[in-house]
Amino acid sequence: MSSRLPSPLRTALLRLGLAAVAVALIFGVWNLVIVAFGLKSYALPTPQSAVAADVDHWHDLAPLTLQTVEETAYGFLIGAAIGFLLGVVMSTSRTVQRLIYPTLITSQAVPIVAIAAPLAILFGFGMLPKLVIVAWVVFFPVVVNVLDGLAHIDPDLINLSRAMGARRGRGFLVIRLPATLSPLFSGLKIGATYAVTGAVIGEWMASAQQGLGTYLQTANASLDTRGVFGATILLTLIGVVSFLLVVAVEAVATPWRSRSTARPRLRSRLALTAGGSRWTRNPGRYARSTHD
Amino acid sequence: MLPETRPSGAGKVVVDDVSIRFEGTLAVDHLSLTVGRSEFVSIVGPSGCGKSTLFNAISGLVRPTGGRVLLDGRDVTGETGHVGYMLQKDLLIPWRTVVGNIVLGAALTRGTNRQDREEAVRLATRYGLGDFLDHYPHALSGGMRQRVALMRTLALHADVLLLDEPFGALDSQTRLDMQLWLLSIFQDLNVTILFVTHDVDEAIFLADRVVVMSPRPGRIIADLPIALPRPRDIDLLTAPAFTQLKRETLRLLHGTVEPAA
Repeated sequence: MSSRLPSPLRTALLRLGLAAVAVALIFGVWNLVIVAFGLKSYALPTPQSAVAADVDHWHDLAPLTLQTVEETAYGFLIGAAIGFLLGVVMSTSRTVQRLIYPTLITSQAVPIVAIAAPLAILFGFGMLPKLVIVAWVVFFPVVVNVLDGLAHIDPDLINLSRAMGARRGRGFLVIRLPATLSPLFSGLKIGATYAVTGAVIGEWMASAQQGLGTYLQTANASLDTRGVFGATILLTLIGVVSFLLVVAVEAVATPWRSRSTARPRLRSRLALTAGGSRWTRNPGRYARSTHD
Repeated sequence: MLPETRPSGAGKVVVDDVSIRFEGTLAVDHLSLTVGRSEFVSIVGPSGCGKSTLFNAISGLVRPTGGRVLLDGRDVTGETGHVGYMLQKDLLIPWRTVVGNIVLGAALTRGTNRQDREEAVRLATRYGLGDFLDHYPHALSGGMRQRVALMRTLALHADVLLLDEPFGALDSQTRLDMQLWLLSIFQDLNVTILFVTHDVDEAIFLADRVVVMSPRPGRIIADLPIALPRPRDIDLLTAPAFTQLKRETLRLLHGTVEPAA
C-alpha cells in the first residue's frame, strides 16, 4: 500500500510517525506514574494539564517565549561564529592550538552558574550577559568538532594539492574550509540543544526582562507546578525546533551527504556548458534559421 | 661516479643521481633514470623499495638529499606543479561533483573558468562518465572514481604523469578494464607516463620499458625494454612474447638470476 509513495517521502513520514509514537509514550508513562503513585496534581500535573496551562496563558507566555527564543538564537549564532573562527585559527598552528586548548577546556569546567553573577555585574541585566552565557556553552562543541574535522583531512590529499601547485589561500578555500562543514554541523546540533539551557540560566542569574526562565522561577516559587511544567514543555520545544532547524540547514549546506547528484541549478549550468540546453531553451530560433 | 650513469640531459624526465634520506634511513640510493618523450615506463620493485619516494621527489613534494630532477632539461628539483600525480587512493573531494573534481587543479591554482568546466565535461563524456557529470564521488563505483581521478590528473595539462599504483585497490576485472582504458588514453594523448605497480602483468602490458628496483635502499637493478607492438589488447596477455618478458621480470624481481648489467 505504501509502495505508491515515493521512497524519500515514505521515509520522512515513517520517521515523523515514530517521533510521534515516542512523544505519546513519554506522555503515557507520565500519566501512568501519576496514577500508579497516586500523585496529587500540585506534586506532578499531567502533561495534558501542563499543555492546557500553556494554551490558557498563551497571551502572557508569547512575549516571554519570544524573549527566550531571541536570547537562544542570537547567543547561538555568536557562539557558533566564535567557535568556528577559533577552530580554524587553532588548526593553523600546533603551537596556537596547545596555547588555547587548555584555556577552552578550563572555560567549560567553570560552573556556568558561578560566573553568571559576575557577568551581571560586568554587563548589566539586559540581553548581553545572557548572550555571553549562551555563546559560552555553544562555542565549545563547535570548536572541538571543527578542529577534529580539520585534523582528519587526509594528508595525502594535502600532498596531492601541493603536487598540483596549489596556492595556500586557494587550498584553504577549496579543501580545508568545506571540510569543516560536516563536523561544524555536528557541533552546532549539540550547541543548539545546549543553547536553551544557557538562556534559562542567564535569565535566572541576571534578568530585568521577563523570559520563560524567569517565568519558570516565579512559578516554582509560588508552587505553580502546572506553570513549571508548562514552561518546561515550551523550553523543550524551543530546543527541539532549534535542533531541527540546524538539521534542515545542514541538509541544504551539505548536499553531498544526502544526495547522489548536485542540485538542478548546478545541473543546468553543466548542461549549458555542454551546449545541450540551447536547443531546449530556444528551439524555434534554430528551427527557423535552418529553413532560411 | 660512473660517467654512463649521468644522463646527458636529453629526455623528457631525467632523474640524475638522486639520493633520498629520511631520518638516517636511505630510501633511494644514487638513482638515475631517463624517460623519453611520450614513453611509458613501469617501475616495479618490492614493497618499501622507495618507488613512491622517488615519485615524491619527481613531483617536487620531497627535496632529494642529493641529485637533481630535470624536466625538458630544466632543473625542477623540489618544485611542485610541473607533473600530474595520481595515487592508489582516488582522493576525490566528497563535496565536489565529477566535473568539480576534474577541475580541481585549476581551482587550486588560479580558479576555474567556463573553459575548464567545458573541458571537464568533454573529458568525462569522452571517457564514459557523461551520465555522471553532476554525481558526487560517493555515488560512483571504485573504477569510476579512479577514472575521475585520472581525468583530474589529465586536466592539469601536464605532459608528464606519475601514476602510483593507480589501480591497486580495484578488483582484477575492473583493473583490466582500467588498463585498457589507460592504454587508449596513452594512445590518444601525447603524454609521458611513469607508472608504479606491484603487478608484473600490468607493468609489462602497459609499458615501453619496465624498470626493476632493488629492496631499500632503492636502486635500479634492471631496465627491460618491452618491444611489444601497440595498440595492445587483451590477447597480448597470453602471447608467448608476453610470457617470456614476464618470466624474465619475475626472475629479476625475486633475485633468481643475476641482474643484467
